[in-house]
Amino acid sequence: MRYSKLPKENFEAFFKSLEKWGAVYGPVKRGRIYSFEKIKDPNEMSLNYTRTMIPPKKFFVKPRERILRLKDGEWVEECDEEKKVIFGVHSCDINALLILDKVYLSYPEDPLYKRRRENSLIIGISCMPDELCFCKSLGTDFAMHGFDLFLHELPDGWLVRTGSVKGHEIIWRSRELLQEPNEADLENFRKFEDRRIKSFKKELDAQGIADLFDLAYNSDVWKKYEELCLGCGNCNMVCPTCRCYEVCDLWTSPYEAERVRRYDSCFMETHGLVAGGHNFRATRLDRFRNRYYCKSYFDPQAGFNCVGCGRCDEFCPAGIEHVKVLYEIARGRSYNVPILQRKSA
Amino acid sequence: MRTLGVFELTGCGGCALNIIFLYNKLFDVIQLYKIKEFHMASSYREEGSLDVALVSGSVSTQRDLEILRRARENSRFLIAIGTCATHGNMQSSLEGSMEEKLERIYGTRDNYMGALNSKPIVEYVKVDFAIPGCPYDKDELYQALILLAKGVEPVYKDYPVCVECKLNEYECVLVKRGIPCLGPLTVGGCNAICLRSGIGCIGCRGPLPKGVNPAGEARILKELGYDDEYIRNKYKTFSGGGLKW
Ligand code: SF4
Ligand code: SF4
Ligand code: SF4
Ligand code: SF4
Ligand code: SF4
Repeated sequence: MRYSKLPKENFEAFFKSLEKWGAVYGPVKRGRIYSFEKIKDPNEMSLNYTRTMIPPKKFFVKPRERILRLKDGEWVEECDEEKKVIFGVHSCDINALLILDKVYLSYPEDPLYKRRRENSLIIGISCMPDELCFCKSLGTDFAMHGFDLFLHELPDGWLVRTGSVKGHEIIWRSRELLQEPNEADLENFRKFEDRRIKSFKKELDAQGIADLFDLAYNSDVWKKYEELCLGCGNCNMVCPTCRCYEVCDLWTSPYEAERVRRYDSCFMETHGLVAGGHNFRATRLDRFRNRYYCKSYFDPQAGFNCVGCGRCDEFCPAGIEHVKVLYEIARGRSYNVPILQRKSA
Repeated sequence: MRTLGVFELTGCGGCALNIIFLYNKLFDVIQLYKIKEFHMASSYREEGSLDVALVSGSVSTQRDLEILRRARENSRFLIAIGTCATHGNMQSSLEGSMEEKLERIYGTRDNYMGALNSKPIVEYVKVDFAIPGCPYDKDELYQALILLAKGVEPVYKDYPVCVECKLNEYECVLVKRGIPCLGPLTVGGCNAICLRSGIGCIGCRGPLPKGVNPAGEARILKELGYDDEYIRNKYKTFSGGGLKW
């Protein structure tokens, strides 16, 4: 992997040069949340943001979008072709996109997702965990691939990792703005990473979870959470790895319609409803449990469907904490050893 | 051509007006339906059977009940429109006997106007579909009418206001500002319009029919410093007693 250094004084010029590649989006503060928005001036951005409420998934599968339009009796595909640079993406979110790729780019691939992935550049940025982050426990705290460039904060600029052919091209075209990193820069990079790794406050032994879930299906812990949880679906709506969507046709005139897709949540009553009126997740307990099985259990070989970004905790009105639920499940009746101690046991 | 009738019981009239507010889309509706009765729009009235009846307002008088029964008997598909019709709205949240209420307001226990304790129409007749909201979202009605004209039954919304709040990327006022918001309990479909202005949802669309957790939300509101009475009043404003814990 190629490393370069972007000195602080060149940041603005470098950022401006990205406009050649597409419309640039970055994290901005809006009220008390962060959001990826179109950026005109780099000073609008909050580069030391914790996490955006809606993850960058929104660029590839939009929260709500028209996917087809019924015109003269024919369904016509709708897809914006805007070229985009998504600037300032954290490692957890880059890893989350790789999880989504497995779903949306496997046969049969989602044409909209594919086109938008091809039309977008991802520029990562280093971050400091807050009390909700637990990506370190899931191995998603560092992005090995899935980005074009990755900027690591230095006292006087950024160390830039190149992750793709396009990334190399950007580096080449902006070469006057970049320098070769020296020993001191690499030392600062290591120091930052050290400090970062030591800052994590939440931890999870991901190794044991799949086994635990086998035993925890009837745990009383689910009953406790059924009472606390509102079934509002906020945890799903903000999750960077949730993949469920709902499709619905809306009439715009008696003979014209649009097919709209939107994020869905397995907390909704009809999510498990099938033909004949059967519902395989009829109660809130079933639905609460399902989310945890979806995130941490199904096909553990393929990796977890959680990157530890902390969004579900931050935006749960009931204050339910993802890792705490997993711990309680692990400590539940059928299993008495806490996850962390299992390692040495 | 299908036939349509609009019936107004006790309410503010806004839900009937909302049909006229479909504006140019109303022309789509009259392409597909012959409107046989719609008091707010015209004095023209034709007896006989209807494919679709739209009923707004709550049953609050003997006269309301008669109109409702007539609408039900003459129609193949009856839609309750607006929270008065679907949940009873605020008039049904008043407690106490009819005599006490008459005494308090009119100073007499005589019930000249045949007043009844306000109830949603679903308490009296079978309803084929319900579109809640104070007022309801008019596009929801438009969709339902076009679907029915094509022989397709409309589908209920199964999600709370929170879902649409997130789809619009609105800041969560409950989590971030401690503003009491009934979004988690309230059936979606309004596109979280109050949250666009940062105002907490007051539950005007009524509670989600299933899986709703009023006790869970009450716990959160109490943690924010609201007492039982405040929460009870907030819960019953539109839901007609549908939210209890
Ligand atoms: S089933 Fe639930 S947790 Fe899993 S992807 Fe779908 S919404 Fe997310
Ligand atoms: S489950 Fe929670 S922590 Fe894990 S990826 Fe989803 S939002 Fe982030
Ligand atoms: S955000 Fe919290 S309260 Fe809402 S469905 Fe998820 S776990 Fe339940
Ligand atoms: S502001 Fe209200 S409606 Fe929006 S997510 Fe929060 S609780 Fe739900
Ligand atoms: S946000 Fe709540 S109060 Fe506002 S229109 Fe929607 S349901 Fe009614």
